[in-house]
Amino acid sequence: MAPDETASLVVRAQRGDADAFTALARRFLRAAYAVALAVVGRPADAEDVAQDAFVVAIERMETCREPARFGGWLLQIVRNRALNFLDARRLRDVPSNEAREDRAAPATEEVGLRERLIAALTALSPIRREVVLLHDLEGWTHQEIGLALGISELMSRQHLFNARGVLRGRLAEENPAEVNHG
Amino acid sequence: MDDSRIDFSPLDPSRDPERWRRMIDSITARALAARGPGSIPQQLLAWSRPALAMAAALTLVIWGAAWASGPEPAPQARTEPAVTLAAWAADDELPPATEILQILGGQNGSR
Repeated sequence: MAPDETASLVVRAQRGDADAFTALARRFLRAAYAVALAVVGRPADAEDVAQDAFVVAIERMETCREPARFGGWLLQIVRNRALNFLDARRLRDVPSNEAREDRAAPATEEVGLRERLIAALTALSPIRREVVLLHDLEGWTHQEIGLALGISELMSRQHLFNARGVLRGRLAEENPAEVNHG
Repeated sequence: MDDSRIDFSPLDPSRDPERWRRMIDSITARALAARGPGSIPQQLLAWSRPALAMAAALTLVIWGAAWASGPEPAPQARTEPAVTLAAWAADDELPPATEILQILGGQNGSR
């Protein structure tokens, strides 16, 4: 989506247009989930954080001063809420098994692959997790990632290159067939 | 670089389209509920733009009507004897006595 289209949706959302909320959610919820997953590391928790952050963002929509840069503004809210969530989870001392990860009821082998992907992601720095998830899961361009994360396109490419290398190595250690090439 | 994309589809929540749609609908519903009807300043702000536009349109109509009716003579020149007297004082010639009486009489009559 072009920045102009995003800006138009944000302005409509600031006036309370419910259709604009939905359109923004369709466009940005998965990116919000990617960033939340990069921080909290568990898909179910990331879904909760992404949804909560999106609702907060819509509540505070009037404070988005640069509508064309809504993505970066939203992802900052997601990141902050994810970090708060992580602190709270550490305090609760929840066991690290993924008891809540069966919401979508994936097949058993998929659960295994999910677990391996999640484990491999922990080997990356937070910024590299965000870049690789926004690029390979959400499909954002380096320009979009750079704008949203406040880094250069070149830096985004470097993070992606390094992240993929680490992930591929980790996944290949367990099962070379699971390192997919798009 | 795109040919070495990592397949994150097992982590993609939108793989289940129906569940994904429900998530989006839930966000919209929660957001609408959270925003409510809006505060009084927000509602005033929302109404201020149409009110300003209406005021501007009315002003234009009034100005247009005034312009269409043509210019009127300056009221000061019509009614102020001091202006006439000053003009006479600046001239070398004396005005006719009838005009002097008219001006003075008008001034006396109006006050």
